[in-house]
Amino acid sequence: MAADMRLPRVRKTLSVSESASHRRDLVVPGDIITSDTGFMRGHGTYVDDDKLTASVAGEVQRVDKLICVRPLKTRFNGEVGDVVVGRITEVQQKRWKVETNSRLDSVLLLSSVNLPGGELRRRSAEDELTMREYLQEGDLISAEVQSVFSDGALSLHTRSLKYGKLGQGVLVQLSPSLVKRQKTHFHNLPCGASVILGNNGFVWLYPTPGQQEEEAGGFYTSLEPVSLADREVISRLRNCLLALAAHKVLLFDTSLLYCYESSLQHQVKDILKPEVMEEIVMLTQQKLLEQEG
Amino acid sequence: MATAQVSEAEKVYILHGIREDLRVDGRGCEDYRHMEIETDVVSNTDGSAKVTLGHTAVLVGIKAEIGKPRPMIPNEGYLEFFVDCSANATPEFEGRGGEELGTEISNTLYKVFNNKHSVDLQSLCISPGEHCWVLYVDVLLLQCDGNLYDATSVAIKAALFSTKIPRVHISTDDEGGKEIELSDDPYDCMRIQVENVPCIVTLCKVGHRHVVDATLQEKACSVASLIISVTHKGTVTCTRKVGGGSLDPESVFEMTEAGKRVGKALHAPLMKLLQHEESLGRKTPKVGFLG
Amino acid sequence: MAGLELLSDQGYRLDGRKATELRKVQARMGVFAQADGSAYLEQGNTRALAVVYGPHEMRGSRSRTLHDRAAINCQYSMATFSTAERKRRPHGDRKSTEMSLHLKQTFEAAIMTQLYPRSQIDIYVKILQSDGGNYSVCVNAATLAVIDAGIPMRDYVCACSVGFVDETPLADLCYAEESVSSLSVALLPRGGQIALLQMDARLHQDHLEALMEAAMTACKGVSKVLDEVVRQHLQEAAVLNVCP
Repeated sequence: MAADMRLPRVRKTLSVSESASHRRDLVVPGDIITSDTGFMRGHGTYVDDDKLTASVAGEVQRVDKLICVRPLKTRFNGEVGDVVVGRITEVQQKRWKVETNSRLDSVLLLSSVNLPGGELRRRSAEDELTMREYLQEGDLISAEVQSVFSDGALSLHTRSLKYGKLGQGVLVQLSPSLVKRQKTHFHNLPCGASVILGNNGFVWLYPTPGQQEEEAGGFYTSLEPVSLADREVISRLRNCLLALAAHKVLLFDTSLLYCYESSLQHQVKDILKPEVMEEIVMLTQQKLLEQEG
Repeated sequence: MATAQVSEAEKVYILHGIREDLRVDGRGCEDYRHMEIETDVVSNTDGSAKVTLGHTAVLVGIKAEIGKPRPMIPNEGYLEFFVDCSANATPEFEGRGGEELGTEISNTLYKVFNNKHSVDLQSLCISPGEHCWVLYVDVLLLQCDGNLYDATSVAIKAALFSTKIPRVHISTDDEGGKEIELSDDPYDCMRIQVENVPCIVTLCKVGHRHVVDATLQEKACSVASLIISVTHKGTVTCTRKVGGGSLDPESVFEMTEAGKRVGKALHAPLMKLLQHEESLGRKTPKVGFLG
Repeated sequence: MAGLELLSDQGYRLDGRKATELRKVQARMGVFAQADGSAYLEQGNTRALAVVYGPHEMRGSRSRTLHDRAAINCQYSMATFSTAERKRRPHGDRKSTEMSLHLKQTFEAAIMTQLYPRSQIDIYVKILQSDGGNYSVCVNAATLAVIDAGIPMRDYVCACSVGFVDETPLADLCYAEESVSSLSVALLPRGGQIALLQMDARLHQDHLEALMEAAMTACKGVSKVLDEVVRQHLQEAAVLNVCP
């Protein structure tokens, strides 16, 4: 039994290098980015009187002639090829609705999933009736964005062995802007657990699967108890993720791993105390800078 | 969010973890999350407190008004409770969506706090049968992340501790009529004895074990929970089963014992914190929502 | 007003401010983790919390779905302990319904709703402590919350109330001053566009221009403060976001 009670404190911002502050590429809504008409308008901007103006608060990103403003915190703006973790909210005719932290629920069509029996299996009317046996409300899946509908809703697919229904593990919901875009978002961390860093900010932590599990089209989930050691690693990673997110550190495999290593001297449940969080995030930052330099 | 969705496999994971005394966030079965408490955060109330427990945030404001004592108990004042489940906490509470939960919590609060064993109600009496102080305890839920009862009870205890009721002088005029005069001096005030005010401990039965301070995900796995109010001496003043499922008698006894143990241990750090905050005085600025 | 001098001969108001002086504004963005956006703002003794959820899939009746833009849904409520005299209900009375509607209209003018067809944005504001200018404080707090949620807006929306006493416009009224004829304005400061204008009492038409002028100046003053808060928040939150 432990109850940790304290007075609230004013939050401190952690910054490793002072030079990082006072950046000039930060804008607020209504700020004019450029009056040069040669640029193209991207997300987070609008044109007013031939002037490219910011509509959200965030950092300006320039890709060739395209100017975007990326807000610090936002709902998921999916693009084709993004890896997402989502939760089934509704089973409809021939499709599932999936909550992916987007502005509209995403869609997973029955024709975009691999059903047991291999790639070439034809979908029968029976499949439509037994959709709930594959995925039901509340189930978690990992998937990839296949296309974006005109109204902005995402269409997902799980046509690869790495995607599909998720089994035992822990979901952490964070801001999508904290997840770094990488070649792969599936990582088997050396500390003994695996992680899916969904582009939509949903992070899935799960015990590293042993030898390649018998694939039943990705719909079989093991309900065997997870070992205590694995649980501790997963819980520690979960708290590390929350600590990094609380201090706005970009999430990718290395930052998570460094944070994990920095946290080892503390008990898992203590990581979420503000002072411990500060300490390990500072250590993580230092390690990241060392690696860079 | 008032409820969380959890898939079957996640449930199994949570269940097995609790069986092994290692919860998803690394806590043991009888550990509370980190709690932050601050009193006197709303200046136009007589007493107030803000408590955050995990992401759960509760704000309690107490206003003292002069009213008429209840006819059956003419020499006591009383407490009125109102729980506002605001839409700020979750869109589900918009409009009248939060009313049911609000009524459920406030009914429990009446049973736990509005009796003379918890609060010295006689000290709230101004003149028997005619005037007494009525304490309006208004609870505002700002964010729900599980375990509302415990957070609310701690916030109420803290707010009662910080409540300052102006002293009243009763003078009799020539015709025998009584006149009530409130003291102008802000330091001339009455405090409420909070020593015997209980705290609520909610025990959630998950699988074959029970946990305190359940998160929303853990609550989604539990069939039923037991609410126990415990004083600093470890006396149980109220128990109540909530939730749809059923509990067998053995586990009720087991949970009561655990609740007693946990509840008793809540009071000491809380009182220490409240006294520490008071000793800091007015010089340290309040953090409130600006922190 | 009998017995209460709102503006002294020396030009000072009840709380010692000059006629055009605003109350002290303090604010913080990102107060709550569970909502998409949140902000707390205090202007003098009036304090408000604003929370934004969305844009998300329409909830409840789908008939409200708009096919070309997002629907904005507002709820204004007051904590029961927020006023000097305790309130019985936090919301649902006529005044707060009207206030919710005003907020909705104000933010429909500012948020670029056409970017989010068929979705919904919820804005909930709660007055924790009320000391005049509730509408303005709510708008200012909600602006910060919307920015925190990363929802595109044309510009900030800043609101302020002005009153007219002894031929002098008073900016940012507190509760004691609200008895005079007052004007509430919500402004998109850069373009000088008015998102909401409300006048509750009698005023000679000749004075209206002066009053509007004062209101616009006051709103611009508020916008400067909000701008500082947002930039400060950006600096703090963005520092660690850039990693190799």
